[in-house]
Amino acid sequence: MSNAILEVESLSKTYAARRGFMGGQIAMVRALSDVSFSVSAGEAFGLVGESGCGKSTAGRAILRLIEADSGTVRFKGESVFDADAGRLRRLRRQMQIVFQDPYSSLNPRRTIGQTLSEPMRVHGTGSAREISATVHEVLGEVGMPRDAAEKYPHEFSGGQRQRIGIARALVLRPELIIADEPVSALDVSIQAQILVLLRNLQQQRRLSFVFISHDLGVVRHFCRSVAVMYLGHIVERGPVPAIFDEPLHPYTRALRNASPVPDPAAKVTMAKLEGEVASALAPPSGCHFHPRCPHATDLCRRVYPPWVEVSKDRGVACHLYPAGSAAMSENRETTP
Amino acid sequence: MTMLAATRETGALARLGRSLLRNKMASFGGGIVLLMALGAVFAPWLSPHDPLEQDVLLRLAGPSADYPLGNDSFGRDILSRILWGGRVSLYVSTVSVLIAIVLGGALGILSGYIGGLFDRITMAAMDVLLSFPTLVMGLLVVAMLGPTVGNLILAITLTAIAPFARIARAPTLTIKERDFIEAGRALGFSNLRIMVVHILPNVVDEILVMASLWLATAIRTEASLSFIGLGVRPPTATWGGMIREGFENILDQPLLAVFPSIAILIVMFGLNMLGDGLRDTSDPKLRHE
Amino acid sequence: MNEMIQNARVLEVEGLTTEFRIDGRWYPAVRDVSFSLARNETLALVGESGCGKSITALSIMGLVPRANGRIAAGRVLLEGRDLVTLDESAMEKVRGSAISMIFQEPMTSLNPVLPIGFQVAEALRYHTKLSEPQARARALELLEQVKIPSAARRFSDYPHQFSGGMRQRVMIAIALACSPKVILADEPTTALDVTIQAQVLALLAELKVETGLAMIFITHNLGVVASIADRVAVMYAGDIIEIAPVDALFRHPTHPYTEALLASIPRVDRDATDLKPIPGQVPPITAMPQGCRYAERCPLREPRCSAASPPLVALAGEPAHHARCWVRSGGEGRAI
Repeated sequence: MSNAILEVESLSKTYAARRGFMGGQIAMVRALSDVSFSVSAGEAFGLVGESGCGKSTAGRAILRLIEADSGTVRFKGESVFDADAGRLRRLRRQMQIVFQDPYSSLNPRRTIGQTLSEPMRVHGTGSAREISATVHEVLGEVGMPRDAAEKYPHEFSGGQRQRIGIARALVLRPELIIADEPVSALDVSIQAQILVLLRNLQQQRRLSFVFISHDLGVVRHFCRSVAVMYLGHIVERGPVPAIFDEPLHPYTRALRNASPVPDPAAKVTMAKLEGEVASALAPPSGCHFHPRCPHATDLCRRVYPPWVEVSKDRGVACHLYPAGSAAMSENRETTP
Repeated sequence: MTMLAATRETGALARLGRSLLRNKMASFGGGIVLLMALGAVFAPWLSPHDPLEQDVLLRLAGPSADYPLGNDSFGRDILSRILWGGRVSLYVSTVSVLIAIVLGGALGILSGYIGGLFDRITMAAMDVLLSFPTLVMGLLVVAMLGPTVGNLILAITLTAIAPFARIARAPTLTIKERDFIEAGRALGFSNLRIMVVHILPNVVDEILVMASLWLATAIRTEASLSFIGLGVRPPTATWGGMIREGFENILDQPLLAVFPSIAILIVMFGLNMLGDGLRDTSDPKLRHE
Repeated sequence: MNEMIQNARVLEVEGLTTEFRIDGRWYPAVRDVSFSLARNETLALVGESGCGKSITALSIMGLVPRANGRIAAGRVLLEGRDLVTLDESAMEKVRGSAISMIFQEPMTSLNPVLPIGFQVAEALRYHTKLSEPQARARALELLEQVKIPSAARRFSDYPHQFSGGMRQRVMIAIALACSPKVILADEPTTALDVTIQAQVLALLAELKVETGLAMIFITHNLGVVASIADRVAVMYAGDIIEIAPVDALFRHPTHPYTEALLASIPRVDRDATDLKPIPGQVPPITAMPQGCRYAERCPLREPRCSAASPPLVALAGEPAHHARCWVRSGGEGRAI
């Protein structure tokens, strides 16, 4: 805990959404409910889940790009939510974000050099010459040629733009990077290039990551621990690969089983998981997953399961694992 | 499909210049406008006669060697008066459109970026302004405040602000959702910086297209107001005023009304071509992004 | 044996070449592509963006944009009839009845202002002689066949009232309406959540068994390919570079690109190993190299590879497995 660079506690966020004809009604969407986790220095922490689970909202709330309703976020012990404008600005230098869509993440009217040097000029981190040197250095670090600085985004491919987006996140020398689906919009071979790049950067710069993704394979490859989210809640948290090899929560298991694997002998299994991901506008009562869960009981329909730490670094919110039970051995199914 | 070739881009004005040259319509229209503008600017040197100099003997004379376009009802040289009248048109339209761009554009970007109640109120105000046809606004202002050049500019500006605000707001709404705006906030950029440095350059294209079209509207409005006698007072030469005089003398000398009308026609034609050409070249590029 | 195969072949593409005009010159986006499709078979067309897989599907459907695209060569034989030679009105009778297509984004493929039942029935009314009530009845049957819950009640609902997975099922119902011989599915599950994707894939597999239809499934995801394909054709830069039964492709990928691609995918079922990204990028269509198009990125590259483009050739001992590689499959043997 003392080694934690980021500590998130009880993060909650509810949106008011307009519904109905002419937007007459207002419904509350609970995007985040009581989300807590911590990231150790130099660690890559994964946040996985399907659309609507709140993982992107969590990433933005941590950086205060969205204001959370409640909860705390501590960066190196300092509260992010309590910071005033000046402190926040300084904090922003240390926590950065990389986006999913390489075609939306760069200003089409600015050269790469302008895009990369602007953060440094705004924060006053050096003379013009130093800034220029840093721009070229960072371009080299992400595998882009020096002359990229004079060009415009549309002259580059998606993978190259993603590299530039990563470079922009690095110019202020942050210690934590929130990577929001950084490889999801890329081709498979480019994906691998970017993942290798991120890994190298992590080692060279001792970066910590909050790695948001819906792709379990990518998360297994990159992250040391992961939290699985469903409809705004964390339903399971634990170390990679244990959480994928022996998932506790039925949703984690279903997610893993449904993830396609390039092996014809391991066909995607649907098992008994029917139904849609419920809408966040009207989440089911009790445990939000119960309508789709093969193990649902009456208790599941009525009461939201409490968070239980089943071991030192694994936790789960599921009635199959009541507090204090040696749950690990019990509910593991033999068929994956 | 990832098969599109890349084109080199530089700043907005240079882009404008290149698209002007590349697009026949835009360059033709731009050429016309430029010619007329030069004529207006250099009127003092180009006019063969003093526009105010009267010569009763030459009343309503047709074109002659000395007076290529003939003389008006006071014997004044029509050619010189057209050149000098262009100055008024140029001045009024340029100033009012410029002010409208600055105020309207700023309001539009602010409104789109801030959103919420501010946006709703501002747009409601814009709707009120939009409901006034330019001519009616001109009548109101001039009737209440008097027929000076300044009031003319005020009237036109008031009606031009709303369209520019709308046209700046629309792309602002889409652009502010793009990730690079969020990246800027994550990097600690102030909202002002984001609006000026990041949103504005992406909005400039549309504004320029609208500007050329509104210049035409402004010229037409000034001429219309002068025609009904509420514009710049005689004896100052204005195209609208000249048409009015021509109207009064139409049975005796029809050419009096024809020449200033042609002048207005040519300028508006040129401006519309310019605007259309600009719109054609800027749209596909925006979609490209 | 040959005769049986001949009879069962429902679609044969021979030497298809589709070109696009860029800056006044014509460039092939799909080059000399040949494959066949039998009844009750799913052929996966897999490759990264720009490889030509979508253009191949559009070419088969006669939907190549006429402004700067054209089919320059080849035949597309649907049960013996060459679709390339048909004019637009004849093709319109074929589309939606003999061949149907399913697209990636159901929201833009479904008309948002028409109820879904109407849209399914529309396909029937256009292609068959069913009366209005008969078409509606059949449409309802189809919606039930694709497992839309409470289909009768939701018959008159609009697309926006359904989730992405449900809309995709509606698309499948429309595609099936006139009992097509072939379905072209262009990335039908790419935009869906993983668990929903698994449901839709399971549905497609069931439908295949029920109706015996032949399907071409286009995707960039090799995991999905392993789950549903019987045969796989891998495309790169407009060429088919390998085609094989699914087990053979994954067990011993022959073309260096296929091999490299498989080695660069992070998997949820295996421990993180070092990913080996493929260096470089696909060459732009306007600057394709002479010879093998993959050569400049290939570790096995030899001088002969840059000299001439290798033919697609059967591997020794595996008549159903073809690869286009001088080094791995040579130039001898039966070209396809």
